[in-house]
Amino acid sequence: MNKNISTILKAVSKPGRYSGGEYGQIIKDKTKVKARFAFCFPDTYEIGMSNLGMRILYGVLNEESDVWCERVYNPWSDMQEQMKKYGIPLTACESGDPISDFDMIGFTLQYEMSYTNVLNMLDLAGLPLKSSERAEDSPIIIGGGPCAYNPEPVADFFDLFNIGEGEEMLPELCRLYIKMKDEGRYTKADYLHEAARTIEGIYVPSLYEVSYNEDGTIKEYKPKYDDIPKTVRKRIMTDMDSSYFPKKVVMPYIETVHDRVMLEVFRGCIRGCRFCQAGIIYRPVREKSPEVLNEQAKCLFEATGYDEISLTSLSISDYTELEALTDMLLKWTDDNMVSLSLPSLRVDSFTKELMDKIASVRSSSLTFAPEAGTQRLRDVINKNVTEADLLRAVNVAFEAGKNKVKLYFMEGLPTETHEDLEGISRLASSVVDAYYKCPTRNKARQPQVTISVSCFIPKPFTPFQWVAQDTIETLEEKQRYLGSKITDRKVVYTHHDARVSRIEAVLARGDRRLSAALEEACREGFKFDAWDECFDYDRWISVFEKTGIDPAFYANRELSVDEVLPWDIIDCGVTKEFLIREYKNAKNEKTTPSCREKCSGCGANKLGGERSCCPKAVK
Amino acid sequence: MLSEGSKITRPEYLRILPEIESPITVRLKFVKLGSLQYISHLDLQRTFNRVLVRSGLPIWYTKGFNPHAKLVFSTPLSIGTQSECEFLDIRLDREMPLEDIKRMLNAEMSDEMYITDVYIPNAKFSDIAFCEYEYELFFKGASEKAADEIKTLFTTSPLNMIKRTKSGEKEIDIASLIKSIEVAFCAEDNAVRMDAVLSAGTDNFLNPEMLITALKERFAIFSGDLSSEWYSIIRKRSLDSGLKEFR
Ligand code: SF4
Repeated sequence: MNKNISTILKAVSKPGRYSGGEYGQIIKDKTKVKARFAFCFPDTYEIGMSNLGMRILYGVLNEESDVWCERVYNPWSDMQEQMKKYGIPLTACESGDPISDFDMIGFTLQYEMSYTNVLNMLDLAGLPLKSSERAEDSPIIIGGGPCAYNPEPVADFFDLFNIGEGEEMLPELCRLYIKMKDEGRYTKADYLHEAARTIEGIYVPSLYEVSYNEDGTIKEYKPKYDDIPKTVRKRIMTDMDSSYFPKKVVMPYIETVHDRVMLEVFRGCIRGCRFCQAGIIYRPVREKSPEVLNEQAKCLFEATGYDEISLTSLSISDYTELEALTDMLLKWTDDNMVSLSLPSLRVDSFTKELMDKIASVRSSSLTFAPEAGTQRLRDVINKNVTEADLLRAVNVAFEAGKNKVKLYFMEGLPTETHEDLEGISRLASSVVDAYYKCPTRNKARQPQVTISVSCFIPKPFTPFQWVAQDTIETLEEKQRYLGSKITDRKVVYTHHDARVSRIEAVLARGDRRLSAALEEACREGFKFDAWDECFDYDRWISVFEKTGIDPAFYANRELSVDEVLPWDIIDCGVTKEFLIREYKNAKNEKTTPSCREKCSGCGANKLGGERSCCPKAVK
Repeated sequence: MLSEGSKITRPEYLRILPEIESPITVRLKFVKLGSLQYISHLDLQRTFNRVLVRSGLPIWYTKGFNPHAKLVFSTPLSIGTQSECEFLDIRLDREMPLEDIKRMLNAEMSDEMYITDVYIPNAKFSDIAFCEYEYELFFKGASEKAADEIKTLFTTSPLNMIKRTKSGEKEIDIASLIKSIEVAFCAEDNAVRMDAVLSAGTDNFLNPEMLITALKERFAIFSGDLSSEWYSIIRKRSLDSGLKEFR
């Protein structure tokens, strides 16, 4: 370790974030590799180290013997101050080398509020923010992750984006880079063009020209070359059983957000809640088989020594072989003092058998997400659960001695009225009542029902992508209204900051013109905007004013289904016709069955997929 | 059980060893160097728990509601201090060759933290009375004279300093807790080296960082530009009250 860094670490909080040297990290000889890749997570070490996607892609890239992928996280403000003071640039964990010397820098875009951190990190690395301003030999900046499905607000800063799952795409990008270098025909421009032309899922924003209508909406996207795709189709791993799986994990010394084995059971979701972006962009569902999962779980347990295995996927209880899998796991986990956990549960599939298997002594609390307070509104958002389902599920929990239930809701949903909000309070109270009615409840304890209410954000590639977000005033009025309706002392009410949700909406539905605002935000020192203590709404508004951006145009405008959307350049597999159909169904309060009950023809089956429930697409 | 042969470091005989009646305590001596100096005690505990599980050693677990491995560490080591002599007592429910224990653990550790010795302990951690530390100090104005002044500072009682504890602040004379100290200027690399034996009993433990704080307060070293001034501290040995090396 560099000596002055070592003394500086004594002056910052949580120095273990920066010291590196973790067991399981991959060290290569930098003089022997042909491409150095800095994989950046634009948030703190504790959050980034817990990200499953990053674990996978770090492993995938390092499988290539001539590529060395290293990890990079955003240093907290106190460390940034020290770095500025002593002229220390942003470095990678493994080698401690400045990332500005790398061949490629990848950012995973997990949430919109991390965009300012992306720019902050480029700035700390000493790199110009805009791709057009970076030198020929400066690293290629790559974006990926869920937010890359609308890459436009950050398009000016990236050389290219990976759309979809990166397990094949990233190594292909490295291979092309190395090949062109070896053959002596590498120029950045040629590389970007060839990547866009030959690698599916690669979007090079500088190769598309955007024009606008007078009313500010987009007129069209025009590719600069005939040989690059008109829309960029996302990549998926079709067979999850044979898809790359990291056998080794970098083990953090300090406590991180998820210190446990994360077992990815399947990708996608059969449901189709109409506000949910993940439920659409990860389609189609592709399961792993229980035998493969069991082996992978053992392997990860042995590689990490963690005492908890979390089955991570969207709506995990929809896994067709959940029972077989948990049975297999329990055969060895108990003996090894390992417990199982499921992060998300659907009330309609929550049973006593399931709970007994996952019963973790540490937690007396269970979490469910009814999302809306009345059946009418749940039908609008296609959350196909009923009040009876919820009450039955909490009963199972209460009978087993649990006394705490956490319920997630959303406010500001399309068509929402005060009655729907009141419904949230009513539902919470009926859960409290259910506790007292349960004869076998834990009589020594009081029930505690926490309702956590977030604000609806219209997200690209959802049936609600066209919907106007409520204004701040409306959202806050609704929060107050709901607060006044909660009189039950056993109910704890928490809600998100509506102002954060509004900025998130602006960034989520933004187009390329937002790059100017983000650049200004970076110049003014914005960072860690996903952290309450760093977020400042008024400063965001002033940045928008300075850069001529009207936030209401992006957040609070009802978009027309005919207009060209910034993210129309991306093809996520699901067709626009399906989204429009779903939008209409929502307005008619009509539900749509899950993919397992009946295929609704969303179009994602054209991407293929093993152990999926889609009808086979005619090629 | 786990798939067989998945860890090459696990000796075959482990599967047939009989469980013993009461667990045996084994002492591990380990180093904690470089980046590992920034890992807190709590994180170290967590890390060792995982190392033990990964190693496949026959760990003895406490009985009852929340079974866990029993780990007992010796003298605390504060963040920013490295060590060549940390001790940890673990319990096993099988008897096995000590060499194998060392090998299995080291397969799961790194070149900055690894086991140097494994043995059945005789002494108790409470026998530790002193720890010996080696300091390297790089600062503007490092000289023969500065070394003498530093020695005088630390050997002249009282040297009162504020000590922050859980129960508040109190003033202590740190000179009285310095058993012995050597200070020398090394012209070759322009550094001052200190070798200090400090009290390390449970009721009079002196954090080696306190000496640095004293230098900051009295001589204004290490309080300005950290790119030209830096220091390192390494715990070299633990000693009993008779100044014999603790084992
Ligand atoms: S094609 Fe049908 S089954 Fe497949 S994801 Fe779309 S709606 Fe579901």
